[in-house]
Amino acid sequence: MGQLVYAAAMSHVLYPDYYGKNVGPHGRKMVEELIAVVQEMGRELRATRPDALVVIADDHLNVFSFDAIPAMCVRIGRSVERMVQADAIEFDQALDGLPQRYPLHEDLANRILEVGMEEGFDFAASWSAPLDHAFLSPVGTLCGDTPAPPLVPFWVNCFVAPQPTARRCYAAGRHIARVIGEGPWRVAAIATGGLSHFPELSLARVGTSAPSFDRRLVALMEAGDHEALCALTVKELDLTGSHELLNWMVLMGAVGPLRARVRFFGEMGRIDLAAMEWETA
Amino acid sequence: MSRYEVNVLLYRLKKDAAFRGRFRADAQGALAGAELTAEERDAFVRWDARRLNELGGSLHLLISIPGLGGH
Repeated sequence: MGQLVYAAAMSHVLYPDYYGKNVGPHGRKMVEELIAVVQEMGRELRATRPDALVVIADDHLNVFSFDAIPAMCVRIGRSVERMVQADAIEFDQALDGLPQRYPLHEDLANRILEVGMEEGFDFAASWSAPLDHAFLSPVGTLCGDTPAPPLVPFWVNCFVAPQPTARRCYAAGRHIARVIGEGPWRVAAIATGGLSHFPELSLARVGTSAPSFDRRLVALMEAGDHEALCALTVKELDLTGSHELLNWMVLMGAVGPLRARVRFFGEMGRIDLAAMEWETA
Repeated sequence: MSRYEVNVLLYRLKKDAAFRGRFRADAQGALAGAELTAEERDAFVRWDARRLNELGGSLHLLISIPGLGGH
């Protein structure tokens, strides 16, 4: 019987130069503190010796275009490339120096996709999508110089309306938990992104976050109040810039009714940074 | 308002370096075949990112077009 052996969520621009440039020394220092925490979490993750690492994150219109935006998408195949972009913006410069190719856990990815389709989740599948900072900045920080476990990348549409609901994301996570439970593997899972930034996806509001809303989210996660989190509307998430909580909702569905432990929470002004983990064993 | 057309062009500016070069050299000419309203076309030509955002342009595209993005 399979087991979810590790579960955590964290902000995903783990790149001091970005915050140094856009926020200043205060931003650089805060993300460096977060990186140190995520590196420690990575040692704990690796100690669980997972067979696979499910990574739940969002696309930033790097991979998917307006021709088609999947609500949720499973990356299948045997390996996945790191996204390489000429003139990459600062977010994705965080990927420079990371491995060019990562192994995938093909069997687990196929099970999540195929069983999901049988059970009513109309997941998209991708055979070729590369991974941007939302996936690889956390994976690179967690794994350091050690090889990453075989990955199962799982995209959630956090930014292009209409997005899936928080409750639907949570249900997808419950599905992933069932697949893990029915399989033979020890599985780690992370969700990435957040907390609040880019409210209303308005260029005029870039630079502000919603710290009171984020404190509420963190308190709900600490309390294990997943029903209150599932009840959050896409409109609330948009107004506060908490779009990427949808990734975290999938993870919370996968861990079930457990209380989160706060490993890091920092109010930067431009964004609130966080790292949380759940005791799954 | 055609959110699709605005974003298709933004996506092309992000991904297609040759098109981006033509746009930067002659925005009117590069957009000649695009199905844009006069207001949308004007915002592109003046490269008014805030206006393009208000017209439905994705923030994540607007901030990530090499040489034109930024925030």
